[in-house]
Amino acid sequence: MGKEEIKKAIIEYLSKGAKSKVYFKDMLTGVKKTIPDATVSEVKNAASEMVREGVVEYLSTGSTTMYGLKGRGISAEEAGGKTE
Amino acid sequence: MGIPGQEHLWDKEVKGHRTYNDIRIFTDEQLKNYTEEELKNFKPKHDTPMLDELEKGPWPSFVSDIKREALHRKKLAQDDMMIPRDVADDLLGQVELSYVEKETHWKHGGIVGVLGYGGGVVGRYSDQQAKFPGVAHFHTYRINQPGGKFYTTDWLRGFCDICEYRGSGITNMHGSTGDMVILGTTSDQLEPIFFDLTHDLGVDIGGSGGNLRTPSDCLGKARCEFACFDTMDMCYDMTMTYQDELHRPAFPYKFKFKFDGCPNGCVASIARSDCAFIGTWKDDIRINQEAVKEYIAGKIPRNGGEMTGRDWGAFNIQEEVIERCPTQCMNWDGNKISINNGECTRCMHCIDVMPEALRVGADQGLSLLFGAKAPILEGARLATLVIPFMYAKSPYDNIKAVVRKAIDWWTEEGKNRERIGELINRVGLGTFLDVLGIPAMPQMVKEPRSNAYMFFKESEVPGGWKRDIKDYRKRHPA
Repeated sequence: MGKEEIKKAIIEYLSKGAKSKVYFKDMLTGVKKTIPDATVSEVKNAASEMVREGVVEYLSTGSTTMYGLKGRGISAEEAGGKTE
Repeated sequence: MGIPGQEHLWDKEVKGHRTYNDIRIFTDEQLKNYTEEELKNFKPKHDTPMLDELEKGPWPSFVSDIKREALHRKKLAQDDMMIPRDVADDLLGQVELSYVEKETHWKHGGIVGVLGYGGGVVGRYSDQQAKFPGVAHFHTYRINQPGGKFYTTDWLRGFCDICEYRGSGITNMHGSTGDMVILGTTSDQLEPIFFDLTHDLGVDIGGSGGNLRTPSDCLGKARCEFACFDTMDMCYDMTMTYQDELHRPAFPYKFKFKFDGCPNGCVASIARSDCAFIGTWKDDIRINQEAVKEYIAGKIPRNGGEMTGRDWGAFNIQEEVIERCPTQCMNWDGNKISINNGECTRCMHCIDVMPEALRVGADQGLSLLFGAKAPILEGARLATLVIPFMYAKSPYDNIKAVVRKAIDWWTEEGKNRERIGELINRVGLGTFLDVLGIPAMPQMVKEPRSNAYMFFKESEVPGGWKRDIKDYRKRHPA
């Protein structure tokens, strides 16, 4: 199992589902459904690389951090800056 | 100078060490651009009658400081500030509005940091942007403080210039996490600030969100004779070892390391960190009997001199030391002090009162504790002592091995937004000890078991057992 496979699984997980932003743990569980042997560090490294590549982005709730596919749902900047 | 093998990093030409004059942004005239008379007559942009009340007490007031900053910014040229001039004025206005309405007008969250970093910036926005445009964006920037919070004045001046130029000019030294904090900047200034901090000041940004928060330590052996391990070295080492956890969040929630050099706990690691390192010793408290007599004779001031300036009466060793020992493990026979060291719980009281007569033991290391937090809902939780004594020598592999096991277990088993202390509480300390491979101690037992349904493992029962299910079914066929 390589990093590319994990990246694919991450994209697949983040593209589906009602929520566009998820906790790392939920993403890990989602990836493990496709790749049961994936470890925490492998998924984390793949996700971090995807952040650097601009495919995935972090979003902070203020106290915790979530992951989302860039372009899906509200962006990190909009999440805080948007005024109702 | 520096860490063995890394001396070249301190070479002026290689590292490009800079003084304040190399990196300064403002001239002296710009920094001192108003008089006290002008301050007295200064009328801020918004009326703030409730905040003004806070200036009337005997203590320094943040309101007065922000007003100074508002006047200072008013007199700077706009080109000298990369974010709105009115940021300090509008901050006062928004805080006043919150005092009047008794609700916050801040929204936080969203952005997390600079490119590739998953923490270090706490996004903050005003929900009254039309009224207070200067604080429409008011992000907090956390900066990894140096060990022991030692800086040079050159460094501090450079830091303040960056805060002024790219932020509101308001800082927090230090935030409750220990970080240096730039309070208030805009999204477009996040990357430039990061560049300036890393290139000109040589510091990294701190932690926020679901990752390792900026590790924090007391000043340890740099200045304190009570320190039982080198807190600054260990804090730096652990910060570098866990860089990935600091900047790329993959934890269920926040996780904090704090390092106290002795049980006095100046950074309160036992109450404020998920993983607390507290210096201790395993031999006897060192006693200088002659110095004890000098304390009694009043030749050495008690408590390191902190009780001078008022007549507290003659030093009474029986009342002030012996009877205050929480485990009653000390005795004074009129000539000699003796300690039953096995009963000492490291409260530090006797050592603090007579530091020249009593010293921490010579066989030094640290205690490792897990699970403190200061929650809103359930009340404060102090850390649980897991390993009473470990030697703490660089590269700290013995300690890192235990910490890594705990973090890996919590990452796998912890629920979203569950701290490690809550996880230990949920599954039981016994499970946590199994994960770490540490035997339980009698002192860890809080009360006798009340739940009759207890499963033992075969390894826990002397002699074990053999269980043959086929044989059982022969006797119980239905």
